[in-house]
Amino acid sequence: MGAPVRHVVFLLQKERYALPLAAVREVVVPPGRFTRVPRVPPAVSGVMNLRGRVVTVLCLRRLLALPDGGQPGEKIVLLDRGRRDLGLLVTDVEGIESLDRVSAAPGRQSSTVSGIARLKGLAVTVLDPDGVDAAVAALF
Amino acid sequence: MTIDMSKYLGLFVSEATEHLEALGRDLVALEREGEAGAIDSMFRHAHSVKGMAASMGFEPVARLAHRVEDLVDAVRAAPDRLDRELVDVLLAASDTLMAQVRDVARGSAPQEAHALLEQLSARLRDVTGRAPLPTRVARTVVHLQAAASADAHARPREEVEPVRRAPSRWALKFRVAPACQVPGVRAFLVHRRLAALGEVSELRPALEDLKAGRIPDGLVSLRLETSSSEEAIRTSLRNVPEVELEVLKAVEAPPPAAPVQDAGRAAEAEPGRTVKVRTEHLDYFLDAVGELMLATARIREVGKALPEGMRPPLEEGVYRLHALVKDLHDKVMTVRMTPLSVITDRLPRAARDIARKRGREVDLVITGADIELDRAILDVLADPLLHLLRNCIDHGIESPEERQAARKAPRGRVSVSVRRQRDRVVLELEDDGRGMDAAGLKAAAVARGSLSAEAAARLSDREALLLCCLPGVSTARDVSDISGRGVGMDAVKRSVEGVGGTLEIDSEPGRGTRFTLRLPLTVAVVQLLLVAVGDEVYGLPIAKVVGAVEADLAVLSRSRETALLPHGTGLLPVHPLAGLVGMEEATVGGVRPFVVVEAESGKVALAVDRLLGQEEVVLKALSRPLDRVPGLSGVTILGSGRPVFILDVPRLLAA
Repeated sequence: MGAPVRHVVFLLQKERYALPLAAVREVVVPPGRFTRVPRVPPAVSGVMNLRGRVVTVLCLRRLLALPDGGQPGEKIVLLDRGRRDLGLLVTDVEGIESLDRVSAAPGRQSSTVSGIARLKGLAVTVLDPDGVDAAVAALF
Repeated sequence: MTIDMSKYLGLFVSEATEHLEALGRDLVALEREGEAGAIDSMFRHAHSVKGMAASMGFEPVARLAHRVEDLVDAVRAAPDRLDRELVDVLLAASDTLMAQVRDVARGSAPQEAHALLEQLSARLRDVTGRAPLPTRVARTVVHLQAAASADAHARPREEVEPVRRAPSRWALKFRVAPACQVPGVRAFLVHRRLAALGEVSELRPALEDLKAGRIPDGLVSLRLETSSSEEAIRTSLRNVPEVELEVLKAVEAPPPAAPVQDAGRAAEAEPGRTVKVRTEHLDYFLDAVGELMLATARIREVGKALPEGMRPPLEEGVYRLHALVKDLHDKVMTVRMTPLSVITDRLPRAARDIARKRGREVDLVITGADIELDRAILDVLADPLLHLLRNCIDHGIESPEERQAARKAPRGRVSVSVRRQRDRVVLELEDDGRGMDAAGLKAAAVARGSLSAEAAARLSDREALLLCCLPGVSTARDVSDISGRGVGMDAVKRSVEGVGGTLEIDSEPGRGTRFTLRLPLTVAVVQLLLVAVGDEVYGLPIAKVVGAVEADLAVLSRSRETALLPHGTGLLPVHPLAGLVGMEEATVGGVRPFVVVEAESGKVALAVDRLLGQEEVVLKALSRPLDRVPGLSGVTILGSGRPVFILDVPRLLAA
């Protein structure tokens, strides 16, 4: 069912998520603190300085409306979205894996999720970069 | 050589080499083309080498350079005496100077060039008919005394050197100390003091770069036209710390014909070869250079913690690095310069479409589109320009029938003209339509509650025209799908101010409207007042800050919950900044600072926790999705690497 596509696989609390590698620019370690953005929803963690660029960082857990599992965000997945500088704060990044069979995800439909896949016997929720982008834009 | 000079050695070698190479080039150009401009340039180079060598204590170099300077000066007075042999001698001298500098670089003492000094003296006697003056080399820069020296005390100086009588033009060169933490501030201070004495011209580096601290090797040169005395010029600079005046000398000639020389060279050079570069790469370069600057600043900070004895070599290294990175930054900025035609080329088509849709007849005339701006500014400018054009055609230009009734040509005219004005680019968009209705705008603003009727009555017509930049204020009778909804002009003003530009509107009823955009050439440098609220730092544009007052919020009188701060003869409404930016308001009492700022409907006082001081920063435009956040006008990255938002107080209050 379709050629395998390389994905960046990461942890959000204890769940596994993935984004197509083509949609990810790089993975960086968050700075000690973010600069807050005035009057935006709490899903916006703030902005950071990445080599002279000001990157807006979002808490992916809050963006997906998941409960807080007490795990701190250790990594930032930077999206490659044209002129937007967006980063997603995630619990940890596991690596790059090829995923081929993406089937419909259980639970309620969401534009941010394109489906689930199986990786080494474990479930991975595959996110839709355009859906994530739209969800971010809706916050502002 | 003393140890404290060693850290300047590298600098001396690189600079002296540059000057000597330039001297050689000038000589060759002079012989080939006989240009007077080259002589002035040669004189400056020889003079600079002399000053540098003298201050470093390299006497043989200073002596030889002085003799070259004398000879060049003599040739300047008698250009017809310049012949091939003279050029040969000068070239030999410049080669020898270069060899001496190489000696210095290797750590050995420069050799005295006796034979060459003799030759130069002989030539000087040939040209002027008098013997060369002795060179005195001191550790401080002494060329003024040296130039006048010897027989000056016997006769009044004016008789000896008639050209130097009551000079009103001066050539100055000063250097900001390599260890200086705020070179831009120091250099700017010097510039300001000199500007107070008279007219400053030929400033290198340009003022914008100077203020941003982009000063290659800390050297600043300029010309000053003043009626003040030499002593007054020196005195005015005496108290500026970390700045050393290297050259101060009278110049009798009007500015040398440098541009002509440049043009000549450019024409001769083979046509420049170009390559295409993807714009993302250019953006990446700029970001990378920005990061390099931050990294350099960080190393410098770390160096401050080192023991005294270990600092000089590190500081020299950091200084060199800093200078190199600044140069690189300048180069990147140059490469990023893009002609305005990139965004004006699409205007004729847009004008035609809008005119057709609205039944107008319009001629669009664009001039000066070859002028270049940083592409970051062009990117920001593209939409506002289109919006202004729409406004002109849609609201400005009347229908052909109306125009004929008003005895105008049936075809309207919209002109876009661009010109350079010192360090700014001025873009004017002008129509010959019906003009704007200042009274109508006042009424609309009052009706919308943006302004009190009294405040509106106080506005001049010119100020009133800018009311169209308030959100929701428009005098357009009908809402078209092109413009007239009152959104847009506020975005235009915000975009222009966001890149450090200004917007002005002039209009004459029945005659037309002119929008004037004054834009910086490169990404804007703005003065900010940094304030702290809780753990956060925010920047307020100094241009909008009226002052700061300390008071205890708890004791201020209130009206319907709003605290009022006495200021001048009035009372200003107090807004806690924490609340405006959506933070918890601190409950701690006591005296705290209030920043008084201009808002749309008068002054307001912002309660902050601390004032952190003024800083000059490079403004960055807000990228998506930050540009959607109301109340932000830009963002910058401080020396510490921390991003800080610049607040747009009126919008913050309105949102």
